[in-house]
Amino acid sequence: MDFWFSYITLAEIYVLLGLSTNLLVGIVGIFSVSQAAVFGVGAYIVAHFLLAPEPMSFLPALGIAAAGCVVLNVLVTLPSLRISGDYFVVTSFGIQLLATAVFTNWTAGTGGANGLPGIPPPDLFNHKLESTGQLTLLCTAGAGLGCLAFFLIMRAPFGRLLRAIREDESAVAAAGKNVLRAKVSAAALAGAFAGVAGGLYATFLSFIDPSSFDLDASILLLTMVVVGGARTLAGSIIGPFLLLALPQILTLLDIPTTIAAAMRQLLYGMLLILFMMFRPQGLAGERL
Amino acid sequence: MSAYLKVSGLEKRFGGLLALQDCSFTIAERRITCLVGPNGAGKTTIFNVITGFLKPDEGSVTFRGRSLDGLAPQAVVHAGIARTFQNLRLFADLTALDNVMVGLPRQFAEEPLGAIFRPLHAARTQGRRREEALEILSHVGLADRATERVRNLSYGEQKLLTVARVLATGAELLLLDEPASGLSAGALDNIMALLRRLQNEGKTLLVVEHNTRVVQQIADDVLFLHQGHLMAQGTPQQIIADPALAEIYFGGAI
Repeated sequence: MDFWFSYITLAEIYVLLGLSTNLLVGIVGIFSVSQAAVFGVGAYIVAHFLLAPEPMSFLPALGIAAAGCVVLNVLVTLPSLRISGDYFVVTSFGIQLLATAVFTNWTAGTGGANGLPGIPPPDLFNHKLESTGQLTLLCTAGAGLGCLAFFLIMRAPFGRLLRAIREDESAVAAAGKNVLRAKVSAAALAGAFAGVAGGLYATFLSFIDPSSFDLDASILLLTMVVVGGARTLAGSIIGPFLLLALPQILTLLDIPTTIAAAMRQLLYGMLLILFMMFRPQGLAGERL
Repeated sequence: MSAYLKVSGLEKRFGGLLALQDCSFTIAERRITCLVGPNGAGKTTIFNVITGFLKPDEGSVTFRGRSLDGLAPQAVVHAGIARTFQNLRLFADLTALDNVMVGLPRQFAEEPLGAIFRPLHAARTQGRRREEALEILSHVGLADRATERVRNLSYGEQKLLTVARVLATGAELLLLDEPASGLSAGALDNIMALLRRLQNEGKTLLVVEHNTRVVQQIADDVLFLHQGHLMAQGTPQQIIADPALAEIYFGGAI
């Protein structure tokens, strides 16, 4: 039973990350490969406040993480406002590498490569959430609220504006709309999603290290969005649940543990290529 | 009395190319002014400068006595001037209706907080704005294509939709870049009738047009641009009757 709760909880955290990535990459067309870095900052901020000598309670810490990631994501997305598509991928790649370097080497703040162990479980209103079931409920609530926000945005004028920006920024400006403001708003929102996901992740696993927030993680997020389906809410939900199930399915096959991790990367890579070639809209993406 | 739209002393250089040089003209309110001239005369550059997409090296633009210098494109739209593009630049994956709705000014929930925290109000106001957009679509004759994606519309329908999108902004001065090019005879009559109708409703139009038949039929005034400079100004009859201009325009072919 605990296995299922863990799987669902982790998938729900990745749903929030999927929403974050989908909003930027799928909806607005800002091709970010550094969402895992923002996710990581959220996780480290929450861990920092919960591990402090005078621990803060969970919700305020999560709020600070979300706010920090809003600011951070706006900052790392800013180059995309000046440089177009392909060039931004390279910039974003650099930001991801930079973040990994900081996570790994800033030992005083992040514990370096050893990571931060012993992060206490989250508490809500003076009540510690110790069991996996309670954590699952918390993450279900978090992912549910995220999905609701995404849904409401996409059916509001703001969602239409973002889709229009993806297609033609100049035409949006010619229609009298402030492209810059809309892009910054989208980046802020994506940052908030990633920050909350980071906080939930840190308290759920009680241990974080840089390997969860590296380039591989960013690419995993992109794979989730591509396989699930870019530009749709359903895609951001299906992708994480499916891709997190793959490692479990692999364990059922009789593969030596030494090559299991490599097999997983191989599989993710192949999935990306096959979907791009044969089903670019993903399982539940918008048909173009 | 100050002119409705006044362009004075515009100069724009692209590297070694002088796209506009000492370009000055005025246009009058509630008239259809056609901007003509050979390819490369600077017609589209003028549009880009007036609408804030390009900053001129010299010169200024005033609209109703107010300077537009240094305004961003969206601010020019708020001042009351909206444009179409020669290559249409519609949102191909969006429906015709959504293309128009993007242009509607002052929408609620055009930012995330309103959308998330006041969803019911957002839905209600959007319902009203949808009616508004449908009206604009039916005005240009596209009411029955509202829910169709732009990529499935014919070229003629797409041209009409670009006009609908500038109408949605509520601008009073419309800059139309070759609204009639590439259209069949039927679609051509259709769009000329539409432009006349817009004029009667109080809009002012500045139109880049190559087709002399269209210019003769719709223009009240004609501006003849050559090598980035205003060469002549007059009624369509005066401009077309001038052999020197015909020589430039047709390169001596007639």
